[in-house]
Amino acid sequence: MDILIQNILTGIATGMVYALIALGFALIWKSSRVANLALGQLVLISSWFTYSMLVQFKFPFWLGMILTIAFAVLLGWLIERIALRPLIGQPILSLIAITLGLAYFLEGFTSFIWPQGQGNLPKVFPQASIRIGPAMIQQELLWAAVISLILFILLSVFFKYHRMGIAMRATADDQLAVQACAVPVNRVFSMSWIFACVVAAIGGVLISSIAAINYGLVETGFKSFSVVILGGMESFLGCIVAGPIIGLCETFGGSQFGSSVKELIPFIIIVIVIMIKPFGLFGEERIERI
Amino acid sequence: MSLPCGIRNFSYHTDVAIIRTRTQWVLFILFMLALFIMPLYLPVSWYDTVNSIGILLIAVVGLNILMGYCGQLSLGHAGFMAVGAFTSALLTGNLHLPFLLALVISGLSAGVIGLIFGIPSLRVKGFYLAIATIAAQFIIIWVLQNWTDITHGSNGLDVVPASIFNLQFDSEIKQYYLIFTIAIISVLFATNLARSRIGRAFIAIRDNDLAAEVMGINVFSYKLLAFFLGCFLAGIAGSLYAQYRGHISYEDFTFQQSILYIGMLIVGGLGSALGPILGTVLIETLQKSLTNTVAPWLEHTVTFMPTGFSSGLNLMLFGLAIILILIFEPRGLSHLWALFKSSYRMWPFSY
Repeated sequence: MDILIQNILTGIATGMVYALIALGFALIWKSSRVANLALGQLVLISSWFTYSMLVQFKFPFWLGMILTIAFAVLLGWLIERIALRPLIGQPILSLIAITLGLAYFLEGFTSFIWPQGQGNLPKVFPQASIRIGPAMIQQELLWAAVISLILFILLSVFFKYHRMGIAMRATADDQLAVQACAVPVNRVFSMSWIFACVVAAIGGVLISSIAAINYGLVETGFKSFSVVILGGMESFLGCIVAGPIIGLCETFGGSQFGSSVKELIPFIIIVIVIMIKPFGLFGEERIERI
Repeated sequence: MSLPCGIRNFSYHTDVAIIRTRTQWVLFILFMLALFIMPLYLPVSWYDTVNSIGILLIAVVGLNILMGYCGQLSLGHAGFMAVGAFTSALLTGNLHLPFLLALVISGLSAGVIGLIFGIPSLRVKGFYLAIATIAAQFIIIWVLQNWTDITHGSNGLDVVPASIFNLQFDSEIKQYYLIFTIAIISVLFATNLARSRIGRAFIAIRDNDLAAEVMGINVFSYKLLAFFLGCFLAGIAGSLYAQYRGHISYEDFTFQQSILYIGMLIVGGLGSALGPILGTVLIETLQKSLTNTVAPWLEHTVTFMPTGFSSGLNLMLFGLAIILILIFEPRGLSHLWALFKSSYRMWPFSY
C-alpha cells in the first residue's frame, strides 16, 4: 500500500516535469503550427548556460536565473528570426526538417562549448524528503510539479485573455485572415518562440537541478512527445493531464517489469495513441477539404 | 523534366529512355568506367569513406522513395536499417544461409517492420507520422538492446564477410565492387520506379493526398507500399553494413543516424534521382574529413578551448547545412545542378 502511494506520487510528479517541457511544444504549435522537434536540445542548451552562469562564473542564483531567462529570450528570438521566418508558408516537411537541423546544430553547439558532457547544478530546492501519509517523496519533484502547474495556469490565462494570446490562437487558425485584421503575424511567431524557449529554460533548470545535465535531457525531450501526442497537440490542458498519466505509466511499468521497460513505455504509448486516437485526448480533429 | 533541345522522338522506346543523346551515353559510360577503376587508384585511407558512401546511398535512396516521392516522413530509418543488419547477421551467422538469400530476407524483414510502423499513415500525416517513426526507432533499438539472447546487447554480433558461391568479399576492394553493384542497382530501380505508375501515384499522394484519393489512387496501399520499399532498401543497406563492418551492435544505429539520412536527402534534394547521390557523397565526405583531419588539427591549434570541443563540430556544421539549404535552396543541390545545366544549354541567352 505504501509502495502504491509512493509510486503514484512519484509518477505524477515526474509526469509534471514532462508536462512542463510539453507546454513549450504546445505553445509553438498553437500559434504557428510548427512542430518543434528540438525540444530536448533547447532544454539541454539552457541547462548548460545556467551551469556556466552558476558554476563556472559563480554568479548568485537570482542573477543566474535572470541571465538564463534573458538568454532564452534571445535564443528564441534568434531561432525564429533566422531559421523559421524564411520558411513561412513552406510545406510541413520543410518545417519539421528545419527543427531537426536546429536540433543537430544546438546539440553540436553544446558539445562544442561544454564538451565535458556531464555537469551538476547546485541544488535549488531543499533536499529533505516530504512525508505525505505513509509515502515519502522527494521535495524537489513536488516543487517541479508546482512550478509546472503555475506555468500552466499562467499560460492558459494568457492565451485566453491577453491580446497577444488571442492573436496567437487566431494566427494558428488562419494566418491570412489574421493578417488582414492587422495582427503582426511576425511578432506573434517571434513571441511564441521566445515563450517556448523560456519555458524550456525553466524546465531545464528544474530537471537538471534534480538530476544532472547530460545527454539524457534530449531523451527526456523525446519522451515528452508522448505527452504532446496523448494530450493533443494544441491543448495546454492536454499537456497537464497527459503528463501525469505518462509519468504514472512509467513508474508503474517500471516497478512491474523492471527499469529497462520504463524507458520504452512513452514510445509504446505514442504508437498506441496514434493508432487508436491520433488527435489525443483534448486535441481538435482537423477536417480536411480539397 | 527538362530535355535537351532539338531532340525528337520517333518511337515510344526512345521517348521513355533515361539516357537520350550521344553525349549523355558517352558521359554515362565514362562515369561507369571511372567508378569501375576508381578503387585501383584510390588511396587506402579513402576505402572506408567510399564504401560507407555506397552503403548509405542505398539507405538514402530508400528514404527518398518514402520521403521524397511519397512525402511520408520517416525519422526511424536507422532503426529499419538495424533490423536488416541484425537479420542478415543472424541468418548468415547462426543458420549459415548464403549471403544473397540473407540479403533479400533482411530487406524483406525490414520492409515488414516498416509496414507495421507505416500503418498509422492511414489516419495521420505530417508531424504525427514523424513522431510515430521516432517511436519506431526507439522501440526497435530497445528490442535489439534488451533481447540479449539473440542480439548479445551491447556486446554486439560478429558477422562474417559476404561470400557469393565461392567468391569471398574479404578485402576492401572486393567489398567496393559488391557494395557499388547493389547501390547502382538500387539507384536504377528507384529512378525507374519514380517514372512508373507507382512513382506517379507516390508523387500525387505527396502533393495532395486528398486529391489523389479522389482521382482513384488507393492512398493507403500506396503509402504502405512506399513504406515497404523504403524500408526494404534500408534493410539491404543494413545487411551490407553488417557484413562490411564485421561487427554490429545496436549502438551503431542511433536516432542521430536517422536524422543524418534525412539531412543527406535534404541537402541533395528531395524527390530527384540525383539528390541522394549528391547528398550522400557530399555529407559523408565532409564528415569523414572533418573527423579525420580538421578536428585533430583544431584540437591541436586552438588551445584556449576545453579539450574535446571539436566533437561537436560535426553535428554543428551538419545542422547548419540543413538549415541553410532549407532557407536558400529548399529543393537541394540537385536543383542547383539542374539550373546550371539549363543555363549552360541556353548560354548566351537567359532563356
